[in-house]
Formats: sequence, C-alpha cells, structure tokens
Amino acid sequence: MNTATDQSWNDAYDRLVVYLRTYDLADHAHVARVALDLLQQAKDAYAKDSSREPTALTLSLAQEKITEWLAFNLPQADLSRSNLLSAGCIAILLSGAYRTAPGAFLTSPVPEEMRQALRESLISTGPDLNVSSMTPRHLDYGPMLQFARQTWHRIDLKELIVAVAFWVAVFVIFHWWLSQAL
Amino acid sequence: MSDPVLQPVSRTDGFVVRRSIFVTMSALLTAIGFVLMLDRYTGQVKFWEDYVVLAVFPLLFSQISVGFVLAIYGFFDKLRGGDPHHIMRGAWRKNEASIPLAATAIVVPVYNEDVGRVTRAVANMWRSLEKTGQIEHFDFYICSDSTHPDRWVEEECAWLSLCQKLNAFGKIFYRKRRHRINGKSGNVADFCRRWGKRYRYMVVMDADSVMIGPTLVRMVRAMEANPDAGIIQTQPYMVLGTSPFRRILQFSSHVYGGLFSQGCSMAQMASGSYWGHNAIIRVAAFIEYCDLPLLPVPDPGKRHVLSHDTVEAALMRRAGYGVWIAYEEPGSYEEGPPNLSDMLTRDRRWCAGNLQHFWFLFARGIEMGSRLQIWIGLMGYLCSPLWLITLVAGSFGSYFRQRFLMLSAEPEDLSAASITPTIELVALTFVLLFVPRILGILTTLPQAKSYGGGFRMIVSALLENLFSMLMAPVLMMFHSLFVLFTVLGVQIKWNPQNRADKGLSFRHCLKLYGWLSVLGLAGWPVTISYLGTAAWWLSPIFAGWILAPFLAWLTSGKGVGNFLIKCGLFVTPEEVNTPPELQGLNEDETEDDAKGGQPSPLWVQALLSPYVQAVHLALVRQGSTGKDETPPRSLADLRERLVREGPQAIPAKDAVRLLWHGETVFWLHQELWTRPKEQLHASWADLQSEAERSRLLKDYLLG
Repeated sequence: MNTATDQSWNDAYDRLVVYLRTYDLADHAHVARVALDLLQQAKDAYAKDSSREPTALTLSLAQEKITEWLAFNLPQADLSRSNLLSAGCIAILLSGAYRTAPGAFLTSPVPEEMRQALRESLISTGPDLNVSSMTPRHLDYGPMLQFARQTWHRIDLKELIVAVAFWVAVFVIFHWWLSQAL
Repeated sequence: MSDPVLQPVSRTDGFVVRRSIFVTMSALLTAIGFVLMLDRYTGQVKFWEDYVVLAVFPLLFSQISVGFVLAIYGFFDKLRGGDPHHIMRGAWRKNEASIPLAATAIVVPVYNEDVGRVTRAVANMWRSLEKTGQIEHFDFYICSDSTHPDRWVEEECAWLSLCQKLNAFGKIFYRKRRHRINGKSGNVADFCRRWGKRYRYMVVMDADSVMIGPTLVRMVRAMEANPDAGIIQTQPYMVLGTSPFRRILQFSSHVYGGLFSQGCSMAQMASGSYWGHNAIIRVAAFIEYCDLPLLPVPDPGKRHVLSHDTVEAALMRRAGYGVWIAYEEPGSYEEGPPNLSDMLTRDRRWCAGNLQHFWFLFARGIEMGSRLQIWIGLMGYLCSPLWLITLVAGSFGSYFRQRFLMLSAEPEDLSAASITPTIELVALTFVLLFVPRILGILTTLPQAKSYGGGFRMIVSALLENLFSMLMAPVLMMFHSLFVLFTVLGVQIKWNPQNRADKGLSFRHCLKLYGWLSVLGLAGWPVTISYLGTAAWWLSPIFAGWILAPFLAWLTSGKGVGNFLIKCGLFVTPEEVNTPPELQGLNEDETEDDAKGGQPSPLWVQALLSPYVQAVHLALVRQGSTGKDETPPRSLADLRERLVREGPQAIPAKDAVRLLWHGETVFWLHQELWTRPKEQLHASWADLQSEAERSRLLKDYLLG
C-alpha cells in the first residue's frame, strides 16, 4: 500500500482550489468549504484504495460530484457526461447562479428558484438543418476554352509555327496600316 | 439540368438608348484620343516601340473614357433627382410600410477577424433592427472560417455573450466550418446548403460591414415588391478611419464613390454590380443558379473562382434575375484598408480573382452588361502593366528617335525627336481624369457642412488628388507585379484583412517600397540625360516612386491621422454625426494592442475553463450526442503530446484538429486537471492559474 505524503495532499488541495475558482463563484468561503469537503472525501476514498495519486483522486472526485450535481438539477440526465457538464456550465453562466447563489454550488437540495433558473437556461445552439442542394450549372466557356484546350493538351511544332506566323502577320499588317495612315 | 434562359428584366424603354449612348460616348472619346496620339506620330520616323505604344494606347484611354462617361451619367442622374426607372423608385414605395417582410438571414462570414469588432457590429445592427419593430423577420449567422484556434474559441465565447446580452438565443447563430473550401464564397454557399431553405433572402456582409435597420428592412421590402430582382447591392461607404490612408480613402469614397455608382446604375440598370457584401440576395435563385462553376484549367488546384461576386452577379443575371445598385440607400458601411501595405495585400487577392474572370468574358449566355462589368474589373488591373509597357516603350522610342535624328538631321530638328503629347491630347486626358472629380465635389458641396465646411472640403479634395497622383505610379508597379505573379501561377495566400489602424514601421516601408525609391532616384536623372525635356512628363511618376516609403509610413499611423482630424481635413458625414450603428465599434482598439502581447494562447481555455469548454462543446457538437467519439490514433498521440509537452509544442493546425473532437476536448479537460504535476508539462501549472482570469471570461462570459 502506498502512503501519500502531506505534500501530495497539499498539491491536491492547491489544484482543487484553482479548479473550483475557475467557476468564478462569488462566495470564496463557500469555495473553501467545498474544497475541504471534497479533500476529506478524497482522503476517505484513499484510505480504502490507495492505488490513485491524491491529486488525480481529488480532482476526479470533484468532477464527478459536479456532474452528479448538474444531472440532479437539470432535466437532461440522459446526456453523456461531457454534454451534461457542457449544458450545466452554460446554464450556470446564463442563469447567473455563480453570482446570485454561489453558496448553492454542489449543495443539495438547491433552492427551487435556482433550479428553475438553471433549467430555463438550457440553450439550443443552432437551427435544425434544412438541407438544399447547391451545385454549379453547366457553363459553356465558349471559343476561348476550345482555343486554350488545344494549347494545354498538345503543343506540337506545326501549331507553334502557325501561332508565331499568325502573330507576325498581325504585327506586319498593323505596321503596314500605320505606315500608310501616318 | 437545362441552361437558364435570360429574361428581359426590367428593361424600360430607355435602357437600350442609355447603353448605346454609354458605349458610343466611351468609344468616341477613345477614338478622339487615339487620333490625337496618331497625329503626334505623323511624319516621324517610327520604331517598334512606337507601335507598342500605339497598340496599347486605345486600351488605356478607353478606361479613363469609361470612367468619365460613368461620372457624367451619375451627375446627370443626380441633377434630375434620380432614375425614375430604378427599382428603388418603383410604385411600391408609395405603400412601402404595408409590404410584409419575409424571413431574412444576415450572414456574416468571418476569417480570423477581430472578434470584438465583429460582435459589436452585429449587436449594433440587431439593436437598429429592433428599433424598426421588424427584428422577428431577421436571423443572424456568424459563419466562421477562422483557422486560428484562439480566434475560433474567442468567437464562440463572443457568440454566447452576444446572445445573452441581446436575449437573442435562437436568433443569432454561430457556425464554424470544418473544411474551409472555396473561401468566402464557399462559406456563404455552405450556409445556403445548410439553412438556405429557411429564408427567402439573405443579406451578405463582410466582417467589417454594418447596415442600419431601416435600410435592411427596405431592402427586404424592395425584394418582396420586385420578384425579378435577384440581388440589390447597397453603396457601402467607408467609415471609422483614423489613419490618414484610411481617411483619404473614405473621403474619396464619399465624394466620388456615389457618383460613379449612380452612373453605373443608370447605364447598367438591372445588370449592375455586386461587390460581395452589404447586398441582399434572393436565396432560392442564388442556390439554383449561382453556385460557382469550376474554371476550365488543367490544374485542379486553380479551378476555384477566387473573386466570386462579379461571377455570381453574372450568373444571377444569366438566370433572368436583375442585379441592382441601390445607390441612394443610406446607412451601409464598411471599413477600408488602414495603410498602403494592407491595401496591396487586398489588391493582390483581387487581382488574381479579377484576372480569372477572363474566362467568363466569352462564356455563352452571359449578358452583355455582365460582360462589361467583367471587362472593367479585368482592365482595372491589366491597365497597370499596359501603362508600364507604354511608359517604357515610349521612352525607348523617343530615345532611339533622338539618336536617329542626331545622326541624320540638322540640330534644330532634334526638338521634334521626342513624342510629347499635343496640348489637345493633354487637355482631353485632364478633362477625362479630373472632370469626374470636379463633378463629385460639385454634387457634394451642398452637404459641405458634413465634410467640415466648404473650404476644408476643397482643401481635402486637393490633397486627395495630390495623394492619388503620387500613389498611382506605386500602384502601377505593384499591380504589374501582381498580374505577373498571377500569370506565372505564383500562389496567392488568402490573408485575413487587417482592419485596425496600426501604423507601419519606417523599416517595413523602406523594405517594401525602398526599391521604388532607388528606381526613381536612379531613373530620373538617367531619363533626363537621355530624353531631355520629354523626361519632365515622367516627373510625377518618379516623384511617386521616390516618395513611396515615406508616404506609406506617413499615412499609416494614427498620429498624422489625429492631426488631420484636428485640422478638420478629410471629414466625412459619419464623423460629424455618428449614427448609433457605428458607435463604439472600435472602442477597444487600444486594448487590442495590449492584447497582442498576451503570452498564453486563448484556445487552451477550451480545455481548462469549464465555462469556455462548455460553450465550445455545445457548438462543436451541434446535433450530436457526443456518446461515440473514439479518437483516431493520430489524435490520441497528439493529445498525449499536448499534455506532456505543453501547448507551445502543438502547431495551430493541430490545435484546431484537437478542438474539433469533442471527446478529446473533454478528455483533455479531465487529464489536465487530474494528472499530478510531474506528469504534466510545466507550463500547464501557470495556465491553470490563469484559467480563472482568462480574457475570454472577463470580456465575454462573466463580463
């Protein structure tokens, strides 16, 4: 059996407090009480099974308790754990419970008005899909495509000579016309 | 699927006459210019460089002729009090208020933008719509293509905050696209495929766009009253500039922009322009006809149309729907690039896009008006290399002629060696270039009070002209390079647009524009020594090149911008009387500067903070239960690496991959909090401590 040192429990406590503070509860004393309570529960669990390290044990316990607490207070208990935490945290945010009733965090039963506020703060993030098919229509790019395609697919000497001859002819005609005109 | 048949949309009696006059006037002016140019070469010995000049000249001259005719059209239309045949002046306006509105989505595509700025714009538009009493008909969609994980997570938190503040859950939606295919057009098309059927219209915005509620409502009513209208484009005016560069642009957009838009609308009517934002679109027609076709090029990576708006307008028109410019509607705004470098970044993108439009120029079924739009857009960039070719060829032609005459003629004949334009040609060019500007000023003068007063407005206009004159040769060089890069197939990187007025360092300006100064300083004396007096015609070009780094630097910062504001120069109506929709949009720009130095990445808060993670999971798992998300092996390795080596070891692209996988995000949340510190990278301890005071919580979720 492993024996955890005081330092490892101190580390677990410090991490737990930092974690709980991320919920920004307005009642700091309540956070301290919750932390101590969770730490004690972790120590009790450790006494029975010391295979897990104190920090891992304490923080896992805290996350489990929070999920259970949310599951109890929200109507969506059938959700996966991650979705339940997600919905619950958004409900805490939107209801403002972290400010208005910080002392109720992880307590049971919570005041009915807070429970109601949490339930009313569940949100739907997006409208249902209403799928359309959007595909490009055929567009005939006209003579330029034919012209370009011939160039891309094969350039042989004969075509090159014809092209050069064409442009030379254009230039000569232009030159001749300007010489006459000016 | 059969090809759509072009319907004669809103072709009033005057339409053919208008377009005929437009084309005839443009062609006539070009022909006059060409004849005057030919006249200068008469009796001169000619070199091949001269033939190049003569070949290119009509193309160049046609562009200023077209601009001139558009301005004349715009001025005429203003004088007569607007176009009676315009869609926004139809009989429906008499009973406008009685026209019921239809479901309309306001689509805001974003790509690594300043999140605070975007959400404040959405909030302002929402409040403006609320005041009209018609908010129930509008939904907002923030459609993100952001590739930076910090921006993504911030956008999510901003969305929740926005919905909470405005009580807009179920009305403002956020969607992040997993695969960023086809840029902005793909983003909008993705919206159409997912939710297009829910709406009859969508108003497409840019990340910096703002429109006022009454105009949005009127646009919907205009579409309802005109079932053959496919797109109505408003005239967005540039606003909120503090840097001199942006202020000059917004001043010119106010003074001249409206005139050209009005002229364009009068000439084109239902074949108007669509600029990709601040426009309302008939969704069903857009879905049916406007998905962009692939370009017929051999390289599959280059088949996507980069600049979508002009093509979409052409396709909409091809399907028989009208594309109109609502040039008179107020309250449509955008922000311009804050400095020359950002404008060039944007221009490089636009250049590549516009040159692609060449394919549509000869495509079958495209309406003549759309071809004209494509041609104007194409020439907007092609003119630069053509102008450069003309300058170089003209200079060499003059030099060779001078040498030829020195060897073969009497000394007094040398004065005729250089081909300098005739006074008539110079006068005509000046008329074509400056009359539109004078007309713009004349039409704005009655509202001079909104521009800081008549005197300040005139001084601003003169300074703007001077600035444009010096910038033109700089733009010519860069645009020529962009055209060259595009033709050579150098890849265009689609950078997000910088919309903050942050100054450029002089070092940056020297690095980017210094070569132009060297070119100017070396080229000017050389040209003078070889060409003599003819070289003085090139002085403004050399002056622009020499001053380029200095001008770019001077016009980029807020310091000179504030001085201009104090002097009352480049004032625009929105500065004198700021509409509520524009208030507070850039309020935290100073704060943003400070944020730039924040060392820790924001995206890790989606792993550490329960609240940020909750928002992220709710959005990333829309419609999914999240129960069966076993991560692939590569992701499992990646997340373990993140835990062991810290976020700095994970590239942004991999961070985005991790964030897409809901179960991985949740797993990381658990692991990062439960693992003993010996099993975590040292940086996580600090990041955990920062989680309670993260900017995401302060600015959005707990603010």
